[in-house]
Amino acid sequence: MTNVKKNIDINRKASSSSWFNGLVWISSFLILFIFIGLILKLLWGSQQAFATFGIEFLTRAIWNPVTQQYGAVSAVLGTLVTSLIGIVIAIPLAFGSAYALSEIIPIRISRIVTPIIQLLAAVPSIIFGMWGFFFIVPLMARYVQPFLKHNFGHIPILSALFSGPPFGVGLFTGGLILAVMITPFIAAVMQNAFQNTPVLLKESAYSLGATKWEIMRYVTLAWSKKAVLGGIILGWGRALGETMAITFVIGNANKIGWSLFAPSNTISSLIALEFPESATGSLKMSSLMGLGVILMVISFLALFCSRYLLRQSERKLRGN
Amino acid sequence: MTDDIAISIQGLNFYYNNFHALKNIGFDMPRHQVTAMIGPSGCGKSTLLRTINRMYDLYPEQKAEGEIWFDGKNILDKRIDLNILRSRIGMVFQKPTPFNMSIQDNIAFGIKLYERLSASEMKDRIEEALRQVALWDEVKGRLHISALSLSGGQQQRLCMARTLAIKPEVLLLDEPTSALDPISTARIEELLDALKTQYTIVIVTHNLQQAARCADQVAFFYMGELIEINDVETMFTKPDNIQTHDYITGRFG
Amino acid sequence: MDLSSASSQLNNSWVQKNNLVQRRKLKNQLFIIGALGITGLLLLVLFSILAILLINGLSGLSLFTLSHMTAPQGIKGGLLNPILGSLFQTGLAIFLAIPIGVLAGIFLAEYGNTRMVSLVRFISDMLMSAPSILVGLFIYTVIVIYLGYSAFAGICALAILAIPLIVRTTEDTLRLIPTTISEAGFALGAPKWKVIIFVCLPIAKGGIMTGILLAISRIAGEAAPLLFTSLGNSDWSWNIFAPMTSLPLIIYQYADSADDQWVQLAWTAALLITMAVLCLNIVAKSYLEKGLKNKRK
Repeated sequence: MTNVKKNIDINRKASSSSWFNGLVWISSFLILFIFIGLILKLLWGSQQAFATFGIEFLTRAIWNPVTQQYGAVSAVLGTLVTSLIGIVIAIPLAFGSAYALSEIIPIRISRIVTPIIQLLAAVPSIIFGMWGFFFIVPLMARYVQPFLKHNFGHIPILSALFSGPPFGVGLFTGGLILAVMITPFIAAVMQNAFQNTPVLLKESAYSLGATKWEIMRYVTLAWSKKAVLGGIILGWGRALGETMAITFVIGNANKIGWSLFAPSNTISSLIALEFPESATGSLKMSSLMGLGVILMVISFLALFCSRYLLRQSERKLRGN
Repeated sequence: MTDDIAISIQGLNFYYNNFHALKNIGFDMPRHQVTAMIGPSGCGKSTLLRTINRMYDLYPEQKAEGEIWFDGKNILDKRIDLNILRSRIGMVFQKPTPFNMSIQDNIAFGIKLYERLSASEMKDRIEEALRQVALWDEVKGRLHISALSLSGGQQQRLCMARTLAIKPEVLLLDEPTSALDPISTARIEELLDALKTQYTIVIVTHNLQQAARCADQVAFFYMGELIEINDVETMFTKPDNIQTHDYITGRFG
Repeated sequence: MDLSSASSQLNNSWVQKNNLVQRRKLKNQLFIIGALGITGLLLLVLFSILAILLINGLSGLSLFTLSHMTAPQGIKGGLLNPILGSLFQTGLAIFLAIPIGVLAGIFLAEYGNTRMVSLVRFISDMLMSAPSILVGLFIYTVIVIYLGYSAFAGICALAILAIPLIVRTTEDTLRLIPTTISEAGFALGAPKWKVIIFVCLPIAKGGIMTGILLAISRIAGEAAPLLFTSLGNSDWSWNIFAPMTSLPLIIYQYADSADDQWVQLAWTAALLITMAVLCLNIVAKSYLEKGLKNKRK
């Protein structure tokens, strides 16, 4: 009698757990399907563009809706240049604040300042776009660009970089705003890595008489270099795909030039600006999808690298 | 203070926030001798060691009062140049702490903080330091490989070489063999005997045999107080204090 | 060995023979000042953004703005429909994302370390940082093409952005729970789902809640994935299959227009959304801190 009852119980438990397992598996599969669907759908959508222009779509420097001629180069270059400017400016900003908050400022104060700086990461990207449009663009047009032109305008290469009328928009302004946006992300990763460096290692450098800076430069950075690099690439990945902050300040012009101050475009801003105006199934829409595919490939590559590096440094931490 | 005394501690009190960690400590450390500090964990022996090179300065919640005389100056004085102080009083930690660099760069790191040397001078100094810790024969020819690839005992001797390369006068050792196997421990203890001809050595240890083997004088601490200081013979055969006696015979710990 | 010669070269003076130490200290001080300066600069940037929002946005904030719909150029309008739209779309998106995210998080934390688990974790991490505009493109191709621009499409896009965040925090907090606790549950003979739902989730609810709040604060400010999904609407309709506007969309449409009233509304919308997002963020983080403190006890 009791045996039978137990059997029934076990069966009931097995079947009652399986509905839960089912839900868990379905949710997990859904995430996979979304990801695979995202890739396949973009590839599918870009088919027409690649069929029309071939692989040359990647190397053509033209974007002309009137003549129906499309190529990716100017937008891809714009994306790479703005994100690189962003990362170049963001690295010292992130490093400086992470260094100050982890090693210089007393814990009691840094515990308050750190979350305040991290709030920068929570500000919606469209707000950065507005801030850039109403605050940075006029600043660039009125002061920075005339200043750079006046002082460096005669030096061969720099004169090309700073040429053009002072609109205030363009690659440099876009990069600058990206830098502010991604700094808190990189800083958070760096600060975490610095604080995880073994205290004994830092102390032994102090005991040799090394200064705070020498310890950061030769001990802490050497110990945490993988995490630092991972954080930088993570920031770069964010900069690549950023849309709203850039769209306001990029100037929206599909040409390639040397000037960092000429209106330009990035992949995401071009999609944001022109996708709503293109007809379903048109060659233009397909070309925009093609740009989306390129953006997807670059940013997933970046994310993959940063994830790899960060996982490795996590492992190192657990090993210690 | 006579010439035979390297470090003289007088009326030293130490605080972690409100916790009184060292209570009115006073004793001398003779030049070119090994002073061992023993006592149960938490007794303040490591704290005292970290006071001698002002390591506690890193942490705002820690503060020391009193006097520690070294070469005519009170090193607790705020005006002391910490970099120079630490170049004269070196320290080795309870775990090996090689930096993430090659063997030679680990040693050059310390030297470069105080001296500008030519490449050949630097090479000689690195060799000299590695010979002092009897590591030269084991690593010569692969000085460029990462210090992290050495064994634990080798790493700890490398850290000693790194400290010695700066040519300090005093060597502070904070349980230097606690993370090592018996054979590596024996090698380090042998080294101490050779090194004390040139350096004044202060060693914190939880290992009483080690204190008996290496030290010339032994100081016993308990609850932040210096209970007894004596030469090694007296300390381990007929200590003056009953608490010392209980500790070294294993009655408490 | 030349021990005797070494001893004669000991560093036995309080005065350094060269100025190396002084120069190193100077360098150290320069870098410290630089780092502090950079930290100050970042704070300044944050405060400049907040100040500009307050200065420009506050003057447009009135009962009228909060209670009236957007209007064509020339007519005085408000922000009622974008506010409703933001609440509606963010709310439904998070509702959609919570069960999927929490369940997938449970999968990552409690279903062993199989290849499938690592794969889902990897994909979820990738999705978390995927450019949001690509999610917009994706939803366009799978929903908008068939059903037209609609709030529903926007909600789906936002949900996709929210799910990976919830997955991550759910997994992380579940992993913090000592295995002995769930094992105690299993030892009583409780089935897996009961242990997870009645033992693990209640312990983890603080961390999961933080993840949900952070996810809300992220998607509430998103405009890029809505551009070609929910599109925007100058009117209000409860119909989930009609286009709908939101605060970020209104900012995008109004900020660079020539109409001063529209620009003013964009500033006010920017102020509203930023304050909402930052407050959510602060609440979420303090929630997390409180949870950690309780756990330490």
